[in-house]
Amino acid sequence: MIRALLAPPRRARTLLAALGIVAASLVVGTAATVGYGLATGFDRAARQADLPHVIARFDREDRETVDARVRALPNLAARSYRHEEKNVDLRANGRRTRKGTLHIVTGGRRGYAVTEGRDLQGPDEVVVERGLAREWELAPGDRLTLYRGWETRIVGVAVEPDNVAFPLTVTPRVYTSEASWPHPVSVNLAQLWLADPERADITLAQARATSFGIGGLSFVTRAGIEVLLGQAAGIVLSLLVAFSLVALVAAGTMLAASDQAEVQRRLPAFGVQRALGFTPARLTAAQAAEAALLAAPAAALGLAGGALAVAGPSAALLAQLNEQPPGAALLPVLGACLLAITAIVTAAATWPAWRAARRPPAEILRGGDLARSPRRRWAADGLLATGARFALAARGRFAASVATIAVCAGVVTLMLALAALLVRLRDDPGTVGKRYQLSVRLSPFDVAAVDDIPGVAAASERYQVDVADSFRLGEPLRMIAYPGDHTRFEAPPLAEGRRLGGEGEVEVGVGLADALGLRPGATLAVQTESGSEVRYRVSGVVRALEHDGRIAYVRPDRLLDAQPDAAPTVSIRLDPDADRAEVERRLAALGAQPVSVGGATTRNAAFLGVLATVLRGVGLAVGLVCLYALIQAVAMTARERRGAVALLRACGGDRRTVAAVFAGAALVVAVPAALAGVLLEWLVLGPLVARLAAGFAALPLAPSPGQVALVVGGLVLLAAGATALVARRTMREPPIAGLREE
Amino acid sequence: MAAVSARGLVRTFGEGRAARRVLDGTDLDVAAGEIVAVLGRSGSGKSTLLHVLGGLDRPEAGTVEVAGERVTGVGERRLSSLRRRHIGFVFQFFHLLPELTGEGNVQLAGRVRGAHAEAEERGHALVDRLGLRHVAGSLPHQLSGGEQQRFAIARALVNDPGLLLADEPTGNLDVQAGAEVLELLGELATEGRAIVLVTHEASAAAIAHRVLRLEAGRLVAA
Repeated sequence: MIRALLAPPRRARTLLAALGIVAASLVVGTAATVGYGLATGFDRAARQADLPHVIARFDREDRETVDARVRALPNLAARSYRHEEKNVDLRANGRRTRKGTLHIVTGGRRGYAVTEGRDLQGPDEVVVERGLAREWELAPGDRLTLYRGWETRIVGVAVEPDNVAFPLTVTPRVYTSEASWPHPVSVNLAQLWLADPERADITLAQARATSFGIGGLSFVTRAGIEVLLGQAAGIVLSLLVAFSLVALVAAGTMLAASDQAEVQRRLPAFGVQRALGFTPARLTAAQAAEAALLAAPAAALGLAGGALAVAGPSAALLAQLNEQPPGAALLPVLGACLLAITAIVTAAATWPAWRAARRPPAEILRGGDLARSPRRRWAADGLLATGARFALAARGRFAASVATIAVCAGVVTLMLALAALLVRLRDDPGTVGKRYQLSVRLSPFDVAAVDDIPGVAAASERYQVDVADSFRLGEPLRMIAYPGDHTRFEAPPLAEGRRLGGEGEVEVGVGLADALGLRPGATLAVQTESGSEVRYRVSGVVRALEHDGRIAYVRPDRLLDAQPDAAPTVSIRLDPDADRAEVERRLAALGAQPVSVGGATTRNAAFLGVLATVLRGVGLAVGLVCLYALIQAVAMTARERRGAVALLRACGGDRRTVAAVFAGAALVVAVPAALAGVLLEWLVLGPLVARLAAGFAALPLAPSPGQVALVVGGLVLLAAGATALVARRTMREPPIAGLREE
Repeated sequence: MAAVSARGLVRTFGEGRAARRVLDGTDLDVAAGEIVAVLGRSGSGKSTLLHVLGGLDRPEAGTVEVAGERVTGVGERRLSSLRRRHIGFVFQFFHLLPELTGEGNVQLAGRVRGAHAEAEERGHALVDRLGLRHVAGSLPHQLSGGEQQRFAIARALVNDPGLLLADEPTGNLDVQAGAEVLELLGELATEGRAIVLVTHEASAAAIAHRVLRLEAGRLVAA
């Protein structure tokens, strides 16, 4: 069977079909690698690091005092304590930061994983976080100076996934043991491992109740950490995971469509075999075996290529998030993809073969894919139009080609829209519903003075307080308060209900509403860091992107009663024609340092660079599939209409004449496919990805006219490339070869 | 000057023991206005000779000149130009494109790059001249065999070639349609075109000024 597949008459088609499977598998491989890595990276890192289920931070206390309270908590499996020093001066390898965080560990379970070197054993030893080691090129054995004079030796590199890595966070972390510390160590951080993590609420409620005397107490759970990490990467990770899912579906469609076309093309051969006495079952079984034999190695090659192409960028992305790449855990996923692709290809080849083989042989012989007797005349007779007719004559393959390329074009359009969205999210606060452009730290008493600055349309104090839900302390949320109508400054669209109308009402983000089961009319009870509880009635649900939609807009009075030390900023909305520099100068004269307001995603250039690389990797794979599908469409037309092309050459047609015919065949596929792809993105993929990635927000993922032009133009260029390749190949054989075949 | 002149043509098919030399030093000269019929058994190499003369196939040895221009040993671009300006082909199986109307098939030859500027007008006139106007808008499957072959001849003449190479032009036609086609070829020769006619039918050979037989790869008088 392998010999038959590779015999000269079928070799080219077999290789073409295999190339198609390789290209589609490449997309699956990239999507699976990126998607699986991102979707499971945190869990894997948390498991590997033995991350505690709850981390409590509090004002510095004697360890015995804290331990007396902690060990009495219910559902507790283990505990350990640390002292956390912030703004520590760190120097090594000629680099320096004053924003280091030093963790003095005091025994017990660590909560971090040592990935290089060893753990702490003696005095003057430190373990550094992986991000710092990578960025400053540090390794075990190197020296690190703390506090401008404390010389330490690096013995290990560790990952603790309770925060993103340096430099995504500006506070690199260093660990040392209490043996290095000259004073008795008081603690300000407790790590709790629970017997039943599902019942964390009980432990947290009890911890709150028994925390009297311990100041500045705040908790963060594993779920909360995952949310915070998600915020660090902005909406990008969710988008990537959603994109990967869409790419998987797209690849499946491509495989099915191209394989069905291959069977359509072989219908005459089926007819002959049936006439010779082969049963439908035997023909179908042979087709299935051939398809599987071809699909398995091609899919393996494509998957491996796709996985390898994005493994590096994907691992770099995960490392920035302090998460672990899947490593060997990816193999079963790729194995499942291999099985799925082989099954899809086999099914796509077998089903039409079964349907075709069951028909009477005479009917099969008459019903080849090529329309030998067209039903209608065409108005245009040029070479381009002739090529278009050639392509349209094979209706089944034409539809499959258009469908395949349309899906690819849709995915490429989606990527362009995603990239544009990322830039807008980073640079344009309006994208996330923010209507103010500047923020300054000033007293509320200065708001009137700010309002009087020429070019300022409106100014208002703004309070932002991170709190937890009273009933589910593991659910962090952000309260934002304006004294008046907050929609003058922040106006995420309403999804449900109405805007808040008074002190006791709240607008909640869809992310928060989904997490807590809130609807208009429900009660939101929050607990501030001081332990006070405030209750609000939900008036509406808004599609806010910030803080993953775990956000609540209120008026400030009740919130300030509960947390009087909440410091405001002043939000400044500029006139459209305002002289921004002049406004900033006037603000500086008031003693304020204005800060430009950005979108919801990170501003870290390196991180965005990694993301761009990942997107480019996936984009390249999709582009290759597009090119392959176009070459396949033109090459199949050229092969099928070999006699007609040879006739044109006998009439004196040169390479350009032949290319014009093939260009017609390519364009009649590429142009409708490009338009269908854009429509697909606009009506299906964009809304689907937006919903999958951030159902809590309204993400603008519709393609712009420029993106549409880019996709259509790009496909036309690819069509030109495919045309040139096939024309060149066709001209290599003498015309008589084609005429003899006819 | 001969319309077509061939010297010492050699063409072999197959390799090793299966190799078969169908042209083995073939020589031929055809003058303008002359019809030469080539007879021979099936597989004797008649069609191959025609393909080599028209530059559709390349010989291993020998030379061909059409209207004084070399056909052998030149590149594909030059060959295309030569075929477009000087050579017309008529095939046994017509080779009409099924998607195009009869007249569309004729005009197709005038749309190749570098075709005569007046090719379209000539195509239109040829359809009229060959009595095909009433079926000009029909698709090939709606035409009779004779009509299809006349459209194919019109297509071959669109670029006004001096040499017409006809491969069994009546082989697929009934007696009456075949006679009409042969009459047409005769008319074309009187206009000064050289015609090489490959056939195995005596009636076809009857219109020729010279009848040659291809035997053992060489042309001999019949």
